[in-house]
Amino acid sequence: MVWFRRTVISGISSLLLLWPLAGCVSRTPTSPAGEAPAGGTSATLPLVVGAIPDQDPEQLQRLYTRLAEYLSAELGVPVEYKPVTDYAAAVTAFRVGDLDLVWFGGLTGVQARLQVPDAQAIAQRDIDAEFQSVFIANTGSNLAEIKDISQLASLKERTFTFGSESSTSGRLMPQYFLEQAGVTPADFGGEVGFSGNHDTTIKLVEAGTYEAGALNSQVWEQRVAEGAVDESKVRVIWYTPPYYDYHWVISPEVEERYGEDFIERVQAALTRLDPSVPEQQEILELFGAETFIPTQNENYAQIEAIGRQIGKIQ
Amino acid sequence: MSLVSPNAAVIPRRPSPWNRRTAWGWAAVVAIAASLYIAGVGRADVDLFNWGGLGQAGQFFRASLAPDLSPEFLAIIARAALVTLAYAVCGTTLSVLLGFVGGLLAAEVWWLTLFPRRGGALAWLTVRGLLAVPRAIHELLWGLFLINILGLDPLVAVLAIAIPFGAIVAKVFSEILDETPRAPLHALINSGVGPGSALLYGLLPLALPNLLSYTFYRFECSLRSAAVLGIIGAGGLGYEIFLSLQSLRYEQLWTGFYALILLNGVVDAWSALVRRRMGFTSRLDLNLKRRQSASEQAVPGAGLRPSSPSTDRFLQLSSWGAALAIPLCFALLRIDWSQLWAARTRRLWAEMLAAATPALPTGSEISELLRLAGLTLAMSVLAIAIAGLGGLLFSFPAAHNFFMPGGLLRPVGEQRQSWPWLAGLALGGSRIALLVSRAIPAPIWALVFLFILFPGILPGALALAMHNFGILGRLMAEVNENLDDRPVRALRALGAGGGQVALYGILPQNLTRFLAYILYRWEVCMRETVIVGLVGAGGLGRLLTEQVSSFDYARLTVTLAVFVLLTFLVDGISQRMRQAMR
Repeated sequence: MVWFRRTVISGISSLLLLWPLAGCVSRTPTSPAGEAPAGGTSATLPLVVGAIPDQDPEQLQRLYTRLAEYLSAELGVPVEYKPVTDYAAAVTAFRVGDLDLVWFGGLTGVQARLQVPDAQAIAQRDIDAEFQSVFIANTGSNLAEIKDISQLASLKERTFTFGSESSTSGRLMPQYFLEQAGVTPADFGGEVGFSGNHDTTIKLVEAGTYEAGALNSQVWEQRVAEGAVDESKVRVIWYTPPYYDYHWVISPEVEERYGEDFIERVQAALTRLDPSVPEQQEILELFGAETFIPTQNENYAQIEAIGRQIGKIQ
Repeated sequence: MSLVSPNAAVIPRRPSPWNRRTAWGWAAVVAIAASLYIAGVGRADVDLFNWGGLGQAGQFFRASLAPDLSPEFLAIIARAALVTLAYAVCGTTLSVLLGFVGGLLAAEVWWLTLFPRRGGALAWLTVRGLLAVPRAIHELLWGLFLINILGLDPLVAVLAIAIPFGAIVAKVFSEILDETPRAPLHALINSGVGPGSALLYGLLPLALPNLLSYTFYRFECSLRSAAVLGIIGAGGLGYEIFLSLQSLRYEQLWTGFYALILLNGVVDAWSALVRRRMGFTSRLDLNLKRRQSASEQAVPGAGLRPSSPSTDRFLQLSSWGAALAIPLCFALLRIDWSQLWAARTRRLWAEMLAAATPALPTGSEISELLRLAGLTLAMSVLAIAIAGLGGLLFSFPAAHNFFMPGGLLRPVGEQRQSWPWLAGLALGGSRIALLVSRAIPAPIWALVFLFILFPGILPGALALAMHNFGILGRLMAEVNENLDDRPVRALRALGAGGGQVALYGILPQNLTRFLAYILYRWEVCMRETVIVGLVGAGGLGRLLTEQVSSFDYARLTVTLAVFVLLTFLVDGISQRMRQAMR
């Protein structure tokens, strides 16, 4: 029996070690849509598209495969999607030139543009020109609905959580509005939390770990519609005034690579996405938008000023 | 040593209860008590438990019964597992190579042999000091830093594992070298062999097998680390898990966990088997007196027969497999070494160095840094105390030679084997518990504890404790399995009960080694406080993530320096404590 067991174990473990071989073979056909054929001698460098991690994972994968296909067809250049799940890593990758076209949040977009001279904000969703954050509270906290911004002072001495450190809707703008009402992060009960993402903020406030929190209103409404929120435990206390948020930022390098008017062509391709064409409708739907509209760097002057004030931009 | 000696009447003086060991013991108790106080345990004004969050924690655990098993998702996860494995293989290979060179340079014996006069000792201390810097910084921070220089390149994740782990391997290997018996080396030198050849033939062959055995333990660590690094775009299971975490898809999250558990379990089992076949029974032999291990080698562990690598089919297959797997993994990840000296890399290096020139901290910043350093220390002390205690308790049922029929803690001459299945269940159950707790990354545990506890350092400490408990329990169970069973059997024969055997036969033998492991992991816990920042009291780790996300490299450098100093402190304390226990 001993020899038998030994053979089985050694067989299995050697198979395990050979596993990478199988992976190597199966890798080639599954390369992302539109990627330049490997080994081509004069293959054009692909346009590399990225996004900050702010959406559902499976959606993200589907979304960017579709979008890469669409952009590749419209622009006539290979398009590749590179996943990054960290805000700071996305900004850094854009700075060093490994990402050419990135879907940034308000703050990360400004951070990225400040690190890459001549980078441009080119397009955003219709909803991003008037984006909002929502403040939520655990029902057990007895926090009253906020009618006027000055009433945010009622959050003093309460426990409170933001989302990710770099999030515009989950941190920057909420902190800005709080400070307008005279509430600094040091005024909360205990240390202010950084849950890491919008969904965790909802769950932590629902659990009562934090009495209140702030997040992206689009995510909140989506979760409520899905029935994923226990509304007997957590409710909205305030919608912030609107501000500019998510947008596409493109690197000036692409014009050197693909020609003078390339940035305009990308902008046109994005704003041309048509809800009446089924494939394009799917892309818009995954973004949660009706259409994309052109935007420009100046629209984010307020975000930049607030970023500097709060210390997120040095 | 006969019992009836002529001097039997002379009772040896009882050693004073006030010695170095007890002083360190008291210091540890005070440190743990202070950390508990800071965490708010036992303070009337602090609420710890958030019972309202049980439902949310329940949602998380219920999903474990219904993981996402759709074929598309399973295909994604299988591929991700392969990538994670590849990163672990590449990271380990590189870290062992780096560690081998670094270990030679950090070994006292190397410098004293090559430069016996002056300068040797100074150079040795300098290298040792320098090695503490890469070790103090968490893999994730290395990853975020390397993106600045290499961009989104698979090299980032490989180097993020290899640099800190290389420094750890270097430290351990230098200790192995320094504790290897030097008689052959001196014999060669005295007979006129040059110092270089003497080291090559007189010292290295004796130390290399230990390094090889340690490599397997490092591989297990790299695998766990590769699972966290996914979040910087390295891909693999970590990437899938953190994406699912973004939107709290628990069902998908659990599929990822099961893959991690499976991968960890297989790698651990394979590494244990290989080491056993090679005659190495312990994963990492921390600097303990060699005399101790010499006595252990006289008693081979339960039924083990060390066989020579040249005849053992399993070892042959394993080494061929490893020889094949390493280049394959590098090829799979498409590692391009030329990136390291590309023009862009050099330009980005220069930019980074300019940006990271430290800004002198102001007075208020210094006091804030000190406060946060205190929190970090408290969290790490609490984490390692809980992990150590838990590991100690679980190391008994998880060792196969204690409760199983015929084990050391079974009553002697037992007529009917009472509850043999219960012992088997305890063995399997405790091993699975240890595997699950170490396979699931610490940030996930942090989220779970944050549902049922109020924010503070306690949930963070528990999350780190949970993860490290799984690692320590496994290491300790292995120590138990390699126990010299003669004193234990003697006690049994004299009629001692189970508790007495454990207290007087087992713990006195193993406790120093247990404590050595605990102190070693303490340093790791310190570093890992960086990744549980979401608990709302991350100490220095929270400050680091804030500075990283603000691209405030000047202040980031200062915070990292504080982290390095803290690591020096922890390193120094744990070395003193280990010395006191010898």
